[in-house]
Amino acid sequence: MAEKKFNKKKESSPLSYHEEYRDKKTPQPQKTPSPEKERFTLISGYTPRIDGERIVTGKAPFTHDINLRGLLYGKILRSPHACAQIISMDLTKAKNLPGVKAVLQLKKEKVQYVGEQVAAVAAVNEFIAEKALKMIEVEYKTLPFVVTEEEAMKKDSPRVHENSNVQKFSDYSRGDVEKGYQEAHAVLEKTFKTEIEIHHPTETHGSVAKWEGDRLVVWDSTQAIHNVRNGLAKALNIPQSQVKVIKKYMGGGFGSKLGLNDYTMAAAKLAKITHNPVKIILSRKENSLTVGNRPSSIQTLKGGVKKDGTITSLSLINYTSGGIGRGDRCSEPMIDIYRCPHIKVNEYTVYTHTGPSRPTRAPGHVQGTFALESFLDELAAEIDMDPLELRKKNYTTKNEGGTGIPYSSKGLDQCYQIGAQKIGWHRRNKIPGQSNGRFRKGIGMGTQIWWGVGRPETLADVMLHPDGSVEAICGTQDLGTGTRTYMAVIPADTLGLKPQDITVKIGNTSYPWCGASGGSTTTPSVAPAIRDAAVKARDYLKKMAAEKLEIDSKNIGVADRKFFNQNNPNQSITFKELTEDLSREKVFHGEYVGRPSGYAYNTFGAHFAEVEVDTQTGKIKVIKVIAVHEIGRVMNKQTAESQVVGGITQGVSTALFEGRVMDPSIGTVLNPNLIDYKLATSYDSPEIEIHFVDIVDPRINNLGTKGLGEPPRIPIAAAISNAVYNAVGIHVKETPMTPDKVLQTLKEKEA
Amino acid sequence: MNEFKLAQPQSVGQATSFLSQKPKGCHIMAGGTDLLGEMKNGIIDAEVVVDLKSLPELSFIKREQNKVRVGALTPVSELAENSFIQNEYSVLYEAALSLATPQLRNVGTVGGNLCQRPRCWYYRDSQILCLKKGGHKCFAFNGRNKYHAILGGGPCFIVYPSDLAPALISLGAEVIIASSKKEKKIPLEEFYVLPKENLLQENILQPGEMLKEIQFPLKGSGEKSTYHKLKERGTWDFALVSAAVNAQITNQSFKEIRIILGGVAPIPWRAKKAESVIKGNRITQSLLQQAAQEELRDAVPLTDNAYKTKLVQSIMSQAALSLVKT
Repeated sequence: MAEKKFNKKKESSPLSYHEEYRDKKTPQPQKTPSPEKERFTLISGYTPRIDGERIVTGKAPFTHDINLRGLLYGKILRSPHACAQIISMDLTKAKNLPGVKAVLQLKKEKVQYVGEQVAAVAAVNEFIAEKALKMIEVEYKTLPFVVTEEEAMKKDSPRVHENSNVQKFSDYSRGDVEKGYQEAHAVLEKTFKTEIEIHHPTETHGSVAKWEGDRLVVWDSTQAIHNVRNGLAKALNIPQSQVKVIKKYMGGGFGSKLGLNDYTMAAAKLAKITHNPVKIILSRKENSLTVGNRPSSIQTLKGGVKKDGTITSLSLINYTSGGIGRGDRCSEPMIDIYRCPHIKVNEYTVYTHTGPSRPTRAPGHVQGTFALESFLDELAAEIDMDPLELRKKNYTTKNEGGTGIPYSSKGLDQCYQIGAQKIGWHRRNKIPGQSNGRFRKGIGMGTQIWWGVGRPETLADVMLHPDGSVEAICGTQDLGTGTRTYMAVIPADTLGLKPQDITVKIGNTSYPWCGASGGSTTTPSVAPAIRDAAVKARDYLKKMAAEKLEIDSKNIGVADRKFFNQNNPNQSITFKELTEDLSREKVFHGEYVGRPSGYAYNTFGAHFAEVEVDTQTGKIKVIKVIAVHEIGRVMNKQTAESQVVGGITQGVSTALFEGRVMDPSIGTVLNPNLIDYKLATSYDSPEIEIHFVDIVDPRINNLGTKGLGEPPRIPIAAAISNAVYNAVGIHVKETPMTPDKVLQTLKEKEA
Repeated sequence: MNEFKLAQPQSVGQATSFLSQKPKGCHIMAGGTDLLGEMKNGIIDAEVVVDLKSLPELSFIKREQNKVRVGALTPVSELAENSFIQNEYSVLYEAALSLATPQLRNVGTVGGNLCQRPRCWYYRDSQILCLKKGGHKCFAFNGRNKYHAILGGGPCFIVYPSDLAPALISLGAEVIIASSKKEKKIPLEEFYVLPKENLLQENILQPGEMLKEIQFPLKGSGEKSTYHKLKERGTWDFALVSAAVNAQITNQSFKEIRIILGGVAPIPWRAKKAESVIKGNRITQSLLQQAAQEELRDAVPLTDNAYKTKLVQSIMSQAALSLVKT
């Protein structure tokens, strides 16, 4: 029952995001046959991205490319102040500028961060729209503000919301941590920090809105077309049936595009007033200020360990800041990964006058894993133990540190084994920092846990045409991850066809329902639904073939675009001949109905990194990363590997370079561009080797597959952090690990 | 971006006459990689943009009897790909290859690189009126300043971001400045000015003047040079600290040496104190350390950039020693 509410949720706040994907109660049993016995030809293979050529040759239309007759350009006026009262606003001059078609006041009372939207303009071109923005006269009364987490925590700092800036938002406890510390041989306490990150998808946010009478059509750069549709219907008070949202191609979102945006509403309103379609595309700067960020964290961990490596207690106090929005719950890895009887967690959100947070690829897990996994290496060193052995010693096959329900499948032990072997774990410094010289190498690792289950009630259709063409249809969206490709691979494999035989249709709310592409849920939702539809289509055709070939349908095999007699493969009928007997196109509805309760469903992985630290300049070079993931059956290894490369590149980037820089006295973001906000380049990418553990989850869905969106993003910063520790004998304890911080850390070690 | 007029002069004379007619709202565009960013971000409002791309005669690399001449419009990538430069002037080749990205090097020009504006993030925010934009305060001084100056700063603390400037100064380059009246030639080292001399611009160009050409002498015997650059990421990054070193080496000692530091000061910083410690002495690690310390005696780190002193020590000896080894 609890899962019913999934589709009703609007844009997720960071906490609800966790609640949504936290998978405890899974009531509905899956009726499809056990996935372990299936044999496939295309699934789990290497199929190139079916839309790859279109994308790299510039033919694939992104939201930025949408051009319509009579299109107007919308621009947003944004607050220059971190906190101010709007005294008055005069739109007259802007309205009177020739070429301006509409001007809208969007904010009436108070602005709470630099970049908050205040007014919007629609004009015949971008020049005029920008000019009009400058002619909007706004009188502000500036108010005291606070933009950094440390400052906001001080008692006398200006308040962001009505209550104190520091608010408790997540507690957890089991056992008695004090008892655990008494049992421990060694007890340690360390503080780790992570900086706020900006999502920076390649494609900035944007929408095009067009009214067709009372019906609204919106082209949106979104991870969730149905969420945007429902959000628009509610906000505009029109029926959902009168709103259509389209997303064809997507340049990434990483969690920042999960729901209805304020600028999309502005575009819809401006389009309504002007009777013309309106396009609003945010700039890179706007992307930096206003459409989300990954909350920072200041995590103080305490842990106790026995001489034999048994972890007795762990506790975490976390102060996390997501601007005017909430921080991230970072404790989940600590609660779940290791067998530990005593745990205590207190997490506090710290509000500041900066743009609101949004889920960012593995919210909370990225920060939590960096701190936890770095901390564990220090615990291991304290008892002179191999850090990987420490992790194995505290391995569990049940969630919540062995106190909860069993995992439906867990291949983490194999991830450890493969990763250690491939990186050459024996090569590491046995004592952290034991090597000498200017350049010091080290090897480290980090463990990953995430959810990765599907959303029950996800729908997909397979449509057979009498001419033998096939459509795979689902109201999902491809963020660039390869959804389109496995939507061709699965029916092709099921029906004995080739991927190019399948026409994939996605990204339209007129198609069968599918939820947001977030939380690593897309593959385990869409793949089983499309498989269900394809199996139904295959069984239907098998019956037709059985009649034609005059044999029992259970003896029918499918391959090479043929249905054949498994006992006599020469006796066959082609797929095309079969469909010719269809009098019209035939639609087969598929659904992902859910999974049995009583099990925990999670993805697992481990990253092993080798780094070199230049002790003179503080520069860290990541030489090599071995990534091993257990995500059940992989749908398409080629795109799955791309996903892992992307996750590692982002992880290297945030471990070494990325961080939002705020000026405390002006209250604005100082690096709202891609020069000063440094993303890793191909130069910075290490050698990456990827392995998937050969496991099929027996219960999760009809293909035994789990999600992969988040997992490769999670353990990489920890692996790098531990490799640096292994090299120089001290953790930098703060991301991004830039030369200034590394040098400072080395200085502390010397002292 | 505001609307502007585009002037496409057909000669240097025409270009300088455009510049002298409208000195205030008139901006020179070479590759445009910096200027267009400034215009789009609202840092400057250009009324007239003088597009020098209409003067292809300003793009050349010429070797003459006793000097090399490089036209201001020469793309940085051509400098990096020129085999003569590669073979004779390591410092210039390495500096050219270290800057920005292949795409930016294809579009950006040598003259543009020498005349680019500072990357200070306060300067680059159109809503912040800092000293450099005629305001009354340097926001970096008490603000976020990890990329700012440790030498020669005050009252403004920018660092000059060019990679080519330190390299060219180490080669003893001169620049030819054209105006509607006449041409003049000055050492590139004297082209740049500290904020205490002129807050609003980083060089001595007067209204109506433009950088036309760069010249430097042919490589002398025993002369070796190199450019070392420390940046946070592998590419597409301005220098945290860089060092251009050009030296004449005989008998394991530097007979002559020029060291120019990038990323540490509002101008390409000639490390004269370090040079005089090194000159004529036998090259050792400790001599180079001593030289760096001497140079850093005047360093005044701000709240976030003290680490740059450590980087200067490292890069100076690293660069100088690499000349002895090769």
